[in-house]
Amino acid sequence: MIDLMKEDVERPDELIEVASLDYKNITSNEKGGLTLGAMLNNSNTANHPEVRTKYPLLSMAMLSAASVQLRNMATNGGNLLQRTRCPYFFETSMPCNKREPGTGCGALNGMNALHAIFGWSEKCVAVNPSDMCVALAAIGATVEVLQADGSPRMIEFTDFHRLPGEQPEKDTNLMPGELITAIHLPEPVFSDHYYYLKIRERASYAFALVSVAAGLQIQDGVITKAGLALGSVAHKPWKLTEVENYLEGKIPNPANFEAAAGLALKDARPLEDNKYKVEMGEKAIVRALTQAYERNA
Amino acid sequence: MKTLKASGVGAAINRVEGRLKVMGMAKYASEFPVENIVYAQGINSTIAKGEIISVDTSEAEKLDGVLAVITHKNSEKLKTFEEEMPELTTTSKAPVLQSPKVRYYGEFIGVVIAETFEQAQYAARLVKFEYKKDPEPTILFDESRSKAYKPKSHTDYLRGDMAAGLAEADETLDHTYSTPIEHHHPMELHAVIASWENAKVTAYASQQIVEDSIIAISDTFQIPKKDVRVISAYVGGGFGSKLNTERHVILAVMASKMLKRPVQMTVTRQQMFTNTGMRQHNEQRMQIGAKKDGSLTALSHDTLSHTSTYQEYQEPCGMMSKMLYKVPNNEIKYSLIPMNFQTPFAMRAPGEATGSFALESAMDEMAWKLKMDPVDFRIKNDTQIDLGAGKPFSSRLLTECLRIGADKFGWENRPKEPRAKQEGNWLIGYGMSAASRNAPYQETSAKVILELEDDKVYATIQMDATDIGTGSYTIIAQTASEYLGIPVEQVTVELGDSNFPITPGSGGSWGAASYCNGARAACESAIGKLKENKNISQDEDIVVAELLKQNQLNKFEAEGTAAPSEEFEKHSVFSFGANFSEVWVDKDTGMYRIKRMVSVGSAGKIINPKTAYGQMIGGLTMGAGMVLAEQTRIEPNFGNFITRSFADYHVPVNLDMANIDVIFLPEEDKIANKMGIKGIGELGITSVAASLANAIFNATGKRMRELPITPEKLIVAPLEPGVTA
Repeated sequence: MIDLMKEDVERPDELIEVASLDYKNITSNEKGGLTLGAMLNNSNTANHPEVRTKYPLLSMAMLSAASVQLRNMATNGGNLLQRTRCPYFFETSMPCNKREPGTGCGALNGMNALHAIFGWSEKCVAVNPSDMCVALAAIGATVEVLQADGSPRMIEFTDFHRLPGEQPEKDTNLMPGELITAIHLPEPVFSDHYYYLKIRERASYAFALVSVAAGLQIQDGVITKAGLALGSVAHKPWKLTEVENYLEGKIPNPANFEAAAGLALKDARPLEDNKYKVEMGEKAIVRALTQAYERNA
Repeated sequence: MKTLKASGVGAAINRVEGRLKVMGMAKYASEFPVENIVYAQGINSTIAKGEIISVDTSEAEKLDGVLAVITHKNSEKLKTFEEEMPELTTTSKAPVLQSPKVRYYGEFIGVVIAETFEQAQYAARLVKFEYKKDPEPTILFDESRSKAYKPKSHTDYLRGDMAAGLAEADETLDHTYSTPIEHHHPMELHAVIASWENAKVTAYASQQIVEDSIIAISDTFQIPKKDVRVISAYVGGGFGSKLNTERHVILAVMASKMLKRPVQMTVTRQQMFTNTGMRQHNEQRMQIGAKKDGSLTALSHDTLSHTSTYQEYQEPCGMMSKMLYKVPNNEIKYSLIPMNFQTPFAMRAPGEATGSFALESAMDEMAWKLKMDPVDFRIKNDTQIDLGAGKPFSSRLLTECLRIGADKFGWENRPKEPRAKQEGNWLIGYGMSAASRNAPYQETSAKVILELEDDKVYATIQMDATDIGTGSYTIIAQTASEYLGIPVEQVTVELGDSNFPITPGSGGSWGAASYCNGARAACESAIGKLKENKNISQDEDIVVAELLKQNQLNKFEAEGTAAPSEEFEKHSVFSFGANFSEVWVDKDTGMYRIKRMVSVGSAGKIINPKTAYGQMIGGLTMGAGMVLAEQTRIEPNFGNFITRSFADYHVPVNLDMANIDVIFLPEEDKIANKMGIKGIGELGITSVAASLANAIFNATGKRMRELPITPEKLIVAPLEPGVTA
C-alpha cells in the first residue's frame, strides 16, 4: 500500500492500520488442519514448526518470495491482497483499466512478456504475483473474513481472487468493509511429496516468470490425491482441478506427468510476447511433479 | 626513502574513509547542511515526440509551500546547441526547458520548487501539460533502420582487404550479436544542491569529473568558470552516468538563481531511466576468417546503434576487435539511428563491455568450427603490436593471463563437446574469454601540505579528484604514505572540490594511475624543494621530518603535476585479462546457475589489493548482470521505458555470484607511468558476458547471440546446427 501510494497509484483518503490487531496465531482447526492468523507475518508463518512439517509446500512457496526483510513485514492477509506488478498498472501515465477503469489495457497490445496466458480479457492481462497464493490454491484453503456487521464469512480460496472480466479493478471478491482474519487449511496430505518450483531471472528477489505448486499423496505406489496450481499465468492463482482429477488414481511416472502437463496447458491463450510460458509451464509442471514424487519416494 | 610496508603502495588496507561512511558522516551531494534550502522535483514528458501546447500550473502554485513552477514558458534563456547533432561529451552543456518541443518520453519539461521535498513531489503531479503529439515518433529500432547515418564521432577503419582475407580462410563465420539498453543505476541517486552568492554559484553535486562539470555549467549559463564551484566529496557510484553534467544540475542552478535560495534536486530512481544516461542497444555483426591452424585472416565488426534526435553518442563497440588479435585484414564500422530516446552515454567499459560480447562469442564460435581449444585459439593470435594503432603495446601479458587462468580454473577438465556433461537435471559447461581495456593516463596536479608536530609529519593531499566508490581516497593516501615515508594514519586526503588542483576526474579507468602519480608528483615536489632550499643533494636519503627541521619549518606546501611521457604516447597502453566460468543449466526450465568464475587480470602495479579486488568483483558482477537479466525494455506504443524501477531492472543478487575469484598477475609497466599503474575499473566487466555465453553454449549447445540470456529465451532456443542432442 505504501509503495503504491508513493507511486501515486493508490490514493486513499483514509488509512486504517490493522496489522497490530490480534489475529496473529497459528492454531489447530476442527478439520484437522491449521488456521493461520491473518496478521501474522510471512516469515513467522513460513518458519513455524507446524507449518513446516504439515504444509511444507506452503512454507517452501512463501520462503521463495521477495526478500527476508519483506517477508518479515508482509502479513498473511496482506499477501493475499498484493496487487499485480504489471508496469502499466504502476505507471500512472500509462493506460490501465485496473488502476483507472476505461483507460484501456496498455499491456494487451504493448509489452506483455510477463503477463497472462489464461483467463485474461481484453480489459486486463495482468497476473497475480503471489507465491503463497499458488501454494494455497494447490493445497486448498478457506479465507475467513469479518464482515462490517461483525459476523464472519467464509470464502473458498479458489473464489477469493477474481478473473478480470469486465471489472479488472476488482482483484478479489472481498466486499467493502470486510477484514481478513484467518486462513483455514485442510487436513495436511502433501507433507511427504511436495515441491514449489519458481522459474525466474535471478536466484532470489524476483517474481516468477512461471511457478508451480505441486503436492501429491501417494499410497501403495498410486496417487490418491493431487494438488496442483500454476503461478504468474493468470489474474488469479491457476488451480488445475482437471489435472488433479486426472492424476488421481494414476501411477506417478514420467508419461503421466507429461500427460498432466499437456492437459494443463492445452487451453492456454498466450499473448504476443509470452508464448514461452506455454512450454515453460509444461516443463515446470513435469519437473515439480517429479521432484514432489522423488522426495521421500 | 624509507617506506612503511604496512600502509604504502601494495598494502591491502581498509578504506581510509570507511569509518566516516559507516557513521553517516561522509556527505554525499544531497546531504550537505545548507541553510535556507528548498527542494525541487522534476516533471517528465509523457509523450515520445511532439510539442507542449499549454501548461497549467495554477493548481500546483496554489499549494502550501510551493515557491515556483518553471517550464519553457518562464525559464532562463540558456545557451543551446548551434550545430546539428553535436557530440555528447563530458563537458557538454545541458540546456533544458528552452523549447516547447518534446524529444523523448521522460524528458524534463518542468520543475517545481517548494519548501519541503514532499510538497514539491506532490505539486509536480498537479502541473498539467497539453501536448500536440507527433503520431510517428521513432521508437522502434527494427523499423527505423533506413534512418541510420554515419556518426561524426567515430570514423570507419580498414586495414588490408576484408574480402581477400575471408577468401583465403579455411573457415568463416558471419553472425550478429545484440546487447540491450542498460542503465547504470548507481546506488546513489543523482543529486545536487545549488546556491548562489554574489553572482557565483556553488553546486554540491554527484559528479565524476568536477572540472568538466564546471565547464558544462559555465558554458550553459555563459558565466566565467571562476564563478562556478563544484563539490563532489563523496559519490555513491557512477559507472559513467555522472561523467557528464545532467539536466537536474542545470535545473537546480537555474531555480536557485531565480529564487535566490539554495535548491536541492534529487533525480528519483524512476527518473534515472530517462535523465541520467544509459547504454544504448547495439547490434553488432561479426565476420571472421581463419585458417585451419587457427591463424586469423580477417575480422570485421560492424555496429548499428541509436542516439537521440538532437545529440550524438556512439559506443565504440569495435575497439577491441581493432587491436586485440593479430589479424591483417580488419574493418570496424559504425552507424547510428536517431531515435526519440535520451542520448546514450558511456557506461562502464563503453565499447569493451558490449563489443567483447560480440568478439569473444564469435571467437568461441570459430574455435568450435576449427575444433580448437578456445584458449589455444586466443594464444595463436596473440600479438605484441597494436595493429589498429600501429604502436607496440607497453606491456601485454594476455597469454600469461590465459594460461594461469586455465590452470587455476581446471580448464583441462572442460567438456570437449556441447551437451557432453550432465549431472541430474543439470547440463554443465565451461566457457572462457580474453579481455583488454585501454589504460589511459592524463595530466594530474595535486597539492601536499606538510605539517610537523612532535617529530611526526602529517600530510594533507588536495586534488579535485573524486572517489566514486572505487577507493581513490585510500590509494592516494597510500601513495603519500609511500613517497613521504609516513604511516597512512598521518595522511589526510581532501578531494572533489574544484578549488583544488585539477585532475581528469574518475572515469575511463584512468583514475588510479592519474591520481596516484599526481600525489606522487606533489610529494616529490615538496621533498625536492625542501632539499634544494638547504643545498641537500636530491639523492640523499633523508626523512621528511628531518628535512622540515633543517628548513626550520613546521609547515610547508608544494604542488606537483604528473603527465604522460613521450614513451607513453608512442605505445598502446592496456590492461589485459582472461575470464573462465562454469555454468550449470537446467535441462528443462531455462534457468541456470553461475557455479564459479575465475578472472585473471594484469593491470600493472596494484596499489591496494583489497580495493582492487572489490573493483574486479564489481566488474564481474556487472558482466554477469549483462547475461543474467539486465535490460531496459521499450514500450512499443508509447516509447517510454516499461522497465521502470529496480523491481523491473534486475541486477545480480548475492546468490547469483556465490563463487567468484580474482587473480592479479604482477606486471611491471614502466611506460604506462612512473608508478606502473593501469586501470582495472573496467577490465573486470570486459568479456565476462562472453565467457558466460560460451559456457552456456558448452553446456547446452545453444548459441545465444542476444543479451540478456533469460529463461524465457533459453527455454525456446534451438540447438546450434552441428550439435547433437
